[in-house]
Amino acid sequence: MNDIMGIIFASDNETKLNELTLHRTTASLPFCGRYRFIDFTLSNFVNSQITNLGIITRNNYSSLTDHIRMGRDWDLNRKNGGIAVFPPYFSNSARSMNRGKIEALYSVLDFIQHAPEEYVVVTNSNIAANIDFESVFNYHMEKGADVTMLTYTACPNTSRKVIVKEDMAGRVTDMRITQTPSSTPAEIGLNIYLSRKDLLIDLITDSYERGYTDFEKNILQQKKDSLKIYGYHVDGYVGVIDDIKSYYHESMRILDTNLRNDLFTRNGTIFTKVKDSVPTRYRDGANVKNSLIADGCDINGTVINSILFRGVKVEAGAVIENSIVMEGGKVCSGAKMSYIIADKDVTITEDKKISGYETYPMVIVKGKTV
Amino acid sequence: MNSRKKECVAMLLAGGQGTRLYSLTKNVAKPAVSFGGKYRIIDFPLSNCINSGIDTIGVLTQYQPFALNQYIGNGQPWDLDRLNGGVYVLPPYMKAKNSDWYKGTANAIYQNIEFIDKFSPEYVLVLSGDHIYKMDYSEMLASHKKRGADCTIAVINVSLEEASRFGIMNTKEDGEIYEFEEKPKKPKSTNASMGIYIFTWEKLRRYLIEDEANKESSNDFGKNIIPAMLGDGCKLYAYNFSGYWKDVGTINSLWEANMDLLDPESGLNLDDDNHKIYARNSAEPPHYTGVDALISNSLVTEGCEIDGEVVHSVISTGAEVYKGAKIEHSIIMPGAKVREGARVSYAIVGDGAEIGAGAQVGSKQEKGEHCAIAVIAPGYKVEENASVKAGEMVE
Repeated sequence: MNDIMGIIFASDNETKLNELTLHRTTASLPFCGRYRFIDFTLSNFVNSQITNLGIITRNNYSSLTDHIRMGRDWDLNRKNGGIAVFPPYFSNSARSMNRGKIEALYSVLDFIQHAPEEYVVVTNSNIAANIDFESVFNYHMEKGADVTMLTYTACPNTSRKVIVKEDMAGRVTDMRITQTPSSTPAEIGLNIYLSRKDLLIDLITDSYERGYTDFEKNILQQKKDSLKIYGYHVDGYVGVIDDIKSYYHESMRILDTNLRNDLFTRNGTIFTKVKDSVPTRYRDGANVKNSLIADGCDINGTVINSILFRGVKVEAGAVIENSIVMEGGKVCSGAKMSYIIADKDVTITEDKKISGYETYPMVIVKGKTV
Repeated sequence: MNSRKKECVAMLLAGGQGTRLYSLTKNVAKPAVSFGGKYRIIDFPLSNCINSGIDTIGVLTQYQPFALNQYIGNGQPWDLDRLNGGVYVLPPYMKAKNSDWYKGTANAIYQNIEFIDKFSPEYVLVLSGDHIYKMDYSEMLASHKKRGADCTIAVINVSLEEASRFGIMNTKEDGEIYEFEEKPKKPKSTNASMGIYIFTWEKLRRYLIEDEANKESSNDFGKNIIPAMLGDGCKLYAYNFSGYWKDVGTINSLWEANMDLLDPESGLNLDDDNHKIYARNSAEPPHYTGVDALISNSLVTEGCEIDGEVVHSVISTGAEVYKGAKIEHSIIMPGAKVREGARVSYAIVGDGAEIGAGAQVGSKQEKGEHCAIAVIAPGYKVEENASVKAGEMVE
């Protein structure tokens, strides 16, 4: 199945990740101890034989290009296809900062048009899931759909969500775009779409020329009756990150072994940049429970219900609970942290006690010392 | 097609069967044996080469080459996928006449003279694939050049008792070798050869051709080439190396070297950004330590799921330790499983092996030469509640 190309939006307007995306795109946000969000998208594509990919970036993309390099870690260093990165203003047709998906896609129309594939998947990059696009494609063909949109079941939060209703055959009959949180689970759009390339090109060109910027509102919602839009439900673990709370919550869900196996093995392996860290060393005072620990850590203290990224040092007597410590973190002796998201290279000095709340985890900005 | 000239080409002898590793090398060559959680033995010489600025390496394979070929691949994990140079796997091959297996270490290099000549090197570094150590070969090469040597042999100081197990280099004060003794009963010095040679290629080339012409020769560096060069008055020098070095050709030494990783005093530290050891990565998620886990003084690698007790052990990529299991002073190789309530003590559990629930493998040992390490062959399944005695090897 080599007839599909992929377009990835590395940044998007809707997420509210504040400090965590101060210096990086959503796509390069670290997740699950050794990954970046884009690893899931890239791996799903590669595992589904989709190997001609364009990544549209807006700002802060050096962390992304540094992570991807030539795409070798995902087997995407190809003579034919592979990864092309499109920053704003990369060509004459890319005349804006991409105020939305329509402008972003318009800026890469040439790339899409000239690709040999007949179909295209466009996706956001704030999604951690293990998706088989081959079965999405089969579904699309079976339904004779114009657009297949992937959906999952969740409770809407305060971020912008597209809530869909489908008929018995799976055709989308109603779309509601909302930012009102609810405790009732609903079928929500994942911001992943599959369609024929020529149809997408027509839709984007027409909407761009009319000055539209909102893909969901100006295209999907408006044309839901004339276009055959079908919903493809993704089950198993689906982690969509759009604010600090969801980042924390989705990270912690990975401590569940069934969900973790689902994310990492369901349809194929999740690849990431290889850093050649040594195995993690547990010393005599180590006490680790229910935690996910990447390579290169050095653990002398207590780690409970937490996620440690690569190369985190935990000194004797330090206690890390319900927290996420990103690469290169250091927690000195006697320090205690609870409900903390420590970005890369954070140091918690001796005997410091810091705590957030489950409903409001505290973020410590990259490189800071507490 | 002429390759660009290289100052120094490395030839890595990786064809040995490693019979003294028993079932661990039944299906793979010794250099492909797992080490230290996420490495294989061959990662050490390959990483040493790239860390020393040597980017052209021929890997001489013969015994069970498939796993090794697959592991080395295009050399990318070691940054050895180069346009000029890089890593080449060199098995014996059919020639118009005189086709043969590699008969000895020197014959293996002899059969690849053409390969080496393509890079027109001044020097050839000969390495073996069964040692654990970190070394900057460029310093050894500098010493070779400075002394105008024909051959430089890396040596390490061993104890007098150990010396009779090694090839011993007897040297003058300035390091010039005047005598080489293979496993001497009464060693005159304690300079043990590490199996690392730098030759001036022009010289070595001549000696390889002469040695090949001699039907009596066993075509071995230690037995034939070095003595012949000494006999002719060539300039052979010892190069003293003082870091960690261990031959891991036996079950006990392989076990000890793994245990040395756990000992901060051993001198074997792999967590060094200036001299990383690279390995082919198997893309596993971080390891998970469960609510019932208790881990101390151990190494745990990506992809592991640990819910039992682990004491002073090395747990390799993707291994699983179930609730109630206890592992002490052992090496669990990649993908092995230790089921509920099993006990593993002073043992090596091979790749993908499984220890059934309640089984007992090995038992407490005193450290030292007579330490009896139990070995479970790769892929072998120890039945539930079965027992494998100390030092026993099952396959």
